[in-house]
Amino acid sequence: MARLQLKNVVKSYGIYEAVRGINLEIEDNEFVVFVGPSGCGKSTTLRMIAGLEHITAGEIVIGDQIVNRLGPGKRDIAMVFQNYALYPHMSVRENISFCLEQQKISKEEIQRRIVTAAETLHIGELLDRRPGQLSGGQRQRVAMGRAIVRNPKVFLFDEPLSNLDAKLRVQMRTEIKRLHQLLPTTTVYVTHDQVEAMTMADRVVVMNGGVIEQVGPPQELYHRPVSQFVAGFIGSPAMNFMPATLVSGGKGLLVQLEDGSSLPVPVARIELYERHVGKTVTFGIRPESISDRQERPGFAEIQAKIDLVEPLGPETMVYFAVGDRGLCACIDPESNPKPKSTMPLSFNMNQMHLFDPTTGRSLAMG
Amino acid sequence: MGSVAKETTARSDDLELNKPEPEGWLGLLFMLPSIAFITGLFIIPLIMTIWMSFHNWPLLGRTKFVGLANYIELLGDSQLWHSLGFTLLYTGLVTAAIMMVAFPLALLVDRPLRLAGVFRTIYFMPVVIGFGAASTLWMWLLNPDSGVFAQILVGNGLVDKAPRPLESFWPALSIVILMVVWKTAGFTMVILLTGLQSIPGDVMEAAKIDGANALTRFRRITLPLMRNSFMLALVLNITSSMLAFDQFFIITQGGPENSTISAVFSIYLASFSSYRLGYGSAMSFALLVVLVAISSIQLTFMRQRPEES
Repeated sequence: MARLQLKNVVKSYGIYEAVRGINLEIEDNEFVVFVGPSGCGKSTTLRMIAGLEHITAGEIVIGDQIVNRLGPGKRDIAMVFQNYALYPHMSVRENISFCLEQQKISKEEIQRRIVTAAETLHIGELLDRRPGQLSGGQRQRVAMGRAIVRNPKVFLFDEPLSNLDAKLRVQMRTEIKRLHQLLPTTTVYVTHDQVEAMTMADRVVVMNGGVIEQVGPPQELYHRPVSQFVAGFIGSPAMNFMPATLVSGGKGLLVQLEDGSSLPVPVARIELYERHVGKTVTFGIRPESISDRQERPGFAEIQAKIDLVEPLGPETMVYFAVGDRGLCACIDPESNPKPKSTMPLSFNMNQMHLFDPTTGRSLAMG
Repeated sequence: MGSVAKETTARSDDLELNKPEPEGWLGLLFMLPSIAFITGLFIIPLIMTIWMSFHNWPLLGRTKFVGLANYIELLGDSQLWHSLGFTLLYTGLVTAAIMMVAFPLALLVDRPLRLAGVFRTIYFMPVVIGFGAASTLWMWLLNPDSGVFAQILVGNGLVDKAPRPLESFWPALSIVILMVVWKTAGFTMVILLTGLQSIPGDVMEAAKIDGANALTRFRRITLPLMRNSFMLALVLNITSSMLAFDQFFIITQGGPENSTISAVFSIYLASFSSYRLGYGSAMSFALLVVLVAISSIQLTFMRQRPEES
């Protein structure tokens, strides 16, 4: 258990900078998820924390100690790998005890810790098997067992669920979260799956192109993305984006879309966007903020010609076009729309976002 | 229309499923080249060898069935037993020497360095030379009058007189072992290298995070995970060493005082010096039995591994 600090950490491979000076403080026992597309530097950052990659510049501090020059075995961390990285020639028991043996812990204590970990992870009956005799989920548990017996200062997870099937992934996600509640430890978890990030994290770190785009609790990232990248990355299905112009009209502001239709900006938001009047902007709205419900204050209605309908059960996705932009809406399944039909759809403008089309920054951020 | 189309598809799927397995003869056809190869070059010669071993079979003249007489003679043939003992000694020494050279080489070239590939090629190069050619080459190198070794040693004042290693047993055996290591270590290196490279990178990283130092990682992770490559390298080296012939035939010519006659060399002598093809066949078959026994033990050991991922 310890605080983890990244101070201006850089990683270069020749002239290519994989991580471009990131700063982050992770509190004691906090569960932080790094998320981002492939090549964004999230795994490299994790590997630098683990000591598996050298740091080109900056400092990594675990507890009160700068660990830049410490080997992975001396940082008091535990890591769960994407492919589990279990020792194939050792039994589950030996896999779990290997790290404790390196620490010269007594046999009785090792035995005691193995039993405790096995009980926690329900792997008691697997202790004498080898990794080759285990299913993916069981291997994942063993990998976690190997990590928890050490009582490390920091847990590192490198996309640990990406090799599991969808059902098992959801189950293990819950178990990792439960394990963290049971054994509170500073945890850094890397994934490219934003659902994992949203469901597990105390705070999410969104990375893109070697820099941190935004850090915050999941709900904050969802509701107040600082950039178009974060807005598009967080949330599934992704936010709809359309080029638009912000104009003043009547008593307030209007978002004028490419096809000429205008959507009124809610009164509460006028002050926020006023200084951008006349500018070209990127208008963003999440599919779940477009509905077929009756118009309410702050809602703007358009007539949408439906291209495609995807019933998912609890909700139905409909795809339609505004101008030449394809949009997606998440509507009540009871509406039962038909492809090629026209239906009224309401944009909940209280949930609208405006971004600078050049920088991608949110205009709500000032 | 739609439902009709669907039915048709379903029916053709059924047809696909009901189609019988491809004819057996087709499988046989694919196997034919291998069968012809193995039959022509292994099974028929093997049967002929066994058949010949029951005969008194001179190179020229009439053959005569003698039953197990050749095998009985084998048991009392001191030259054969000596050559078998020598072959085992040579096999033990040369295999150990090859492993001791090849494994460090494999560790050296298993690095993500640009030059590693160049060195891999350099170490592997002697492998492509035939044993006969390599032996002849070494004969030239070793020549006390004009050989390179003699010139270097005498030229640099390291020795007064050019050494003649082939005139006594241990130097002669050492020279042959040196030549074989030079020629074959590259091949063993490649086998061991594939073993090294099959160890997943993240397993080694997990061991680092678990706090294992380089020696512990080598002993507890690298070596056990390379077991199969080691066994394969051992089987191949032991088998080829047990069949050693060219190097002794060309370099030592069995000398000094017939002390470096290998098992295959004695088969050659019986068959083509004494022209006793029947007796030579019996020796060949006996050597085959010994080799199969050794390989079976090794392969059984290799298979007795617990399930690995």
